[in-house]
Amino acid sequence: MEMTLLIGLDAASYILTLLLVCIGLVIIFGMMKVVNLAHGEFFLLGAYAVVLLQQYAVPFPVILVIAFAFVALVGLIIEELVIRRIYHRFLDTILATWGISLALKQLVIVLFGPGSQQATAPFSEPIAMFDITYSSYRLFVMGMAIVITVATFLILFRTRLGLTARGVIANRQMASCLGVNTRRVDRVTFAFGSGLAGLAGAIMAPLMSVDPQMGVGFLVPAFLSVLVGGTASPLGALWGAGIIGGSNSVAAAIWTPVVAQIVVFSLAIVVIRLLPDGVTGRWKR
Amino acid sequence: MSRYSRQLTVLFWIALAGAPLFLDGWNLSLLSQLMIYGIFAMSLAFIWGQGGLLCFGQSLFFGIGAYAMALTTKGMIPGIPAMTLAGLVLAVILPALAAGLLGLALFKGRGLHGAFFGIVTLSAAVIAERLAINWSYIGGFNGILDVPPLRLGWGSWQIELYDPLFFFPVVLAAAFAAFLMLLGLERSAFGTVLRGIRDNDKRAAFLGFETAEYKAAAFAVSGAVAGLAGALFAVQFAFVSPAILGFALATEVLIWVAIGGKTVLLAAFIGALAVKSIENVLSDTLGQYWLLVLGLLFVVAVVLLPRGLLAPFFNIPLPRALRGAEDMLAFNRTIEGQNHE
Repeated sequence: MEMTLLIGLDAASYILTLLLVCIGLVIIFGMMKVVNLAHGEFFLLGAYAVVLLQQYAVPFPVILVIAFAFVALVGLIIEELVIRRIYHRFLDTILATWGISLALKQLVIVLFGPGSQQATAPFSEPIAMFDITYSSYRLFVMGMAIVITVATFLILFRTRLGLTARGVIANRQMASCLGVNTRRVDRVTFAFGSGLAGLAGAIMAPLMSVDPQMGVGFLVPAFLSVLVGGTASPLGALWGAGIIGGSNSVAAAIWTPVVAQIVVFSLAIVVIRLLPDGVTGRWKR
Repeated sequence: MSRYSRQLTVLFWIALAGAPLFLDGWNLSLLSQLMIYGIFAMSLAFIWGQGGLLCFGQSLFFGIGAYAMALTTKGMIPGIPAMTLAGLVLAVILPALAAGLLGLALFKGRGLHGAFFGIVTLSAAVIAERLAINWSYIGGFNGILDVPPLRLGWGSWQIELYDPLFFFPVVLAAAFAAFLMLLGLERSAFGTVLRGIRDNDKRAAFLGFETAEYKAAAFAVSGAVAGLAGALFAVQFAFVSPAILGFALATEVLIWVAIGGKTVLLAAFIGALAVKSIENVLSDTLGQYWLLVLGLLFVVAVVLLPRGLLAPFFNIPLPRALRGAEDMLAFNRTIEGQNHE
């Protein structure tokens, strides 16, 4: 019983972490048709923001806000300099963002060195509940993932800004004719998606060793989640993260983490092949 | 400049063949190494430039070739003699099979396309790397050490090609053979169909071409060439490790090809040679900044020069018999370009 509960909590933790990373990715991928391979590095920048700001004893909630704003600004600059030139060249977005990711990662290495840094959690006392104890910061991360996801959906589906963004996605030319400034929407969407990655990195930083390679580890599972879930709607990220994260945690409990990844990634490829629109693709069309 | 592209191409190969006259042993073996990367780059340029398939996991086939060569020549595959020739044959056939089958599985029916194909191949390379790390028979994390050098001859009449002066011509011959074969395919009717599929695969399918089979066949050819490069790599370094299957090499080759030019084989080949040799020279002076510069250069090449830096110099015009069809393709591209605006 305790074992099941523990595995269940670990699975929930992994799913929600993955969701935290995916939500920014799916906004940029699904809504703007830009495959952003630099997403892992945006995550990285958020984590390094925590390491840097903690040296100046900035309170943690403030750090989270700064990490979001800083990475959103980086996203805005990159959108303006690079992405807007290649919106019509879908395949080239992968390559250009890959180059950006290389450069950003190397910039971090130049500034902070290749070694791993430590970010401290603002609180870490284990919490006892039922028959088990669990890290309180992990529970906080899970809570934050839920809050951020809900907030993102509220913005997308309940505000005027979200309505405009979805309008541009549905029919760019029509939205433009109706007086929507599509350039502005592109800019804001990309910055928002980038900022979410930075926020995810900042929240996750105390749980991981902060090193220049930390973004890459999330990239493949996050992309597979987005594809398995489907890109037609941001809701796909929920399904994708649930399926990939859940099966991965369960498989890791049965076998080893490595076997789990190999099995889950391979199955994900099969699912993507059989359902190119993802598991949510059928509902939309 | 493209007026002289034939002459430039011929000149380049002559210069390469004459390299042993000017270079010492160390630089010669460095050049062999660069040419191995060049062969690898051509394999990607073929599938990406002609087939329009952005393969983010080309290292998978390079790695399979390298492992096949290493395992065979060390006598670790039961039932297969530990011979150079057997190793080379396996190193070409296994990756070709892997690529062909993966291609059929991905392209048949409602196939994958574009970015999805890129992400799936990237994941496949990552899976293969993890698998190799955890498979102790093929050396696990440490890989395979002491891969024997090339042995020419039969029975007791064998010579080992330790000397770079002898290894160089082998690599040069392999590079030239790969170049001629891929160029021949490009300039054949097969190449025209492939470019037709690249530009508009629905239209090609309506015209009655089995697009999935064409793409899978091109992918298999590309896998075979990548495997050949991998086999030579294993011999040159006498060492194979899981890293050559994965992410890092897969994206490095993309950079060479994007900077050189994906639609022209020799441009991709020289792209690999140039980027790698600049890296050798500059990584001492620039140190950590080199990768930063390379990443930015790559972004600039992708955004501003999608055809690559070297493509215009080595773009050989197609044979006259194919030009009509190609003009049609170019015409379609212009029309579709206008529609997208």
